[in-house]
Amino acid sequence: MDCKTASDLLPLYFDGELDRATSREFEAHLDECASCQAALIELDALRQSLRHEAARYKAPQALRTRIERAAAAPVAARALQNRVRWLALAASWVLAFVAGGFTLEAWNHGSASVSEESQLTRDLFASHWRALAAAAPIDVVSTDQHTVKPWFAGRIAVSPTVRDYADQGYALIGGRIDYVGSERVPVLVYRHGKHLIDVFVLPPAVVPAGTAPVRQQGYVLERASMGGQAVAMVSDMDETELTRFRDLVDASSRGE
Amino acid sequence: MISTPSRTVVDELALRHLDAAYNLGRWLLGSEQDAADAVHDAYLRAARACDTYAGGNARAWWLAIVRNCCLARLAVRSKDTRNVAIDGDPAAAERWLPHTGADDIEERLDSSRRTQQIDVQLQRLPVVYREVLILREIEELSYREIADVLETPMGTVMSRLARGRALLQKALTEDGTTGAPHGL
Ligand SMILES: [Zn+2]
Repeated sequence: MDCKTASDLLPLYFDGELDRATSREFEAHLDECASCQAALIELDALRQSLRHEAARYKAPQALRTRIERAAAAPVAARALQNRVRWLALAASWVLAFVAGGFTLEAWNHGSASVSEESQLTRDLFASHWRALAAAAPIDVVSTDQHTVKPWFAGRIAVSPTVRDYADQGYALIGGRIDYVGSERVPVLVYRHGKHLIDVFVLPPAVVPAGTAPVRQQGYVLERASMGGQAVAMVSDMDETELTRFRDLVDASSRGE
Repeated sequence: MISTPSRTVVDELALRHLDAAYNLGRWLLGSEQDAADAVHDAYLRAARACDTYAGGNARAWWLAIVRNCCLARLAVRSKDTRNVAIDGDPAAAERWLPHTGADDIEERLDSSRRTQQIDVQLQRLPVVYREVLILREIEELSYREIADVLETPMGTVMSRLARGRALLQKALTEDGTTGAPHGL
């Protein structure tokens, strides 16, 4: 690894955001490079200053009491209380929604069923929307399955089988780690035309029961099996297109 | 009904991460009263939007709401000529610093001066750098969590963090406070 690459990676290494393999390559360079060592020491000095010398403000007891009291109030009473506060704060609310409303807006339209199955569905749609809203659907950008797979290996217990379907019109463009319930799961991101497809590799405990596609807000969720692992795919693609991709993935999983 | 369990989740979430929320608010707004009010706003908004929370990182979701409430207050404040903008006015920043009692021991004086210098320099940074430094270095959020809080791409988080660190480092050096390195 040359020094230029190493200095680009240095903050990621320092923040624990580098995968294991790259960390090792970085460390090999670090052992021999005084200027990268100095830069790392400087970052650490700054962190120590901020952690130990900058003020970390604790919530005042009065605030905690206010919130505890609100939390203890019955839901109906709280609704009234909220309405009053909302009126009083109308101006700042409007701004707050403008500043951060998109994701919440999208979630608002989600179904409100209480079953676990629909909770899973909600999680998957929400994750897809959140990734799109953040304009960062991928953490590791790569069209190469041999780069994407090891990237997961350093960060997540079970690394997924990663396959590319570029030849069939569904190109792998990268991956990210997202949450389904409290589980961290690998998400593979594919592109078909201008559409993105999120493929969530599901842990065995949350394999969905149904098989029919689920539609929400013009997005479709399909289930499949990729390399023997249960996956759920979410996209705004035409349903027939997504079904075609699902069949492709299922077929390759069976080794056809 | 779904609202009851979800509401409980929001209550727990807000109380568990109340210090983090207040700390963020305090650093963004620079005032105890404003920070407390912004966190209370955020709690009400989160409770109202609880059924819109659909999995994902709960702490990041909560802090994103807190941050939006703070930014809304900042926006209102910047229109209000009676208040001083918190960026670019070191004198204003100093007014918000915690006042310690009489420090007659030299060492304590040094350490309190150092704390004050860091606070002043941090408060002087533009808010986009200040918030990313607070979230990463003090609240210890991952890049992904910060990206979720700021509702911004990971790449932006990385570049703001790098820029923020460089600016703060430079300011502290010029302030003559980094003679004795801390940590390593
Ligand atoms: Zn180097």
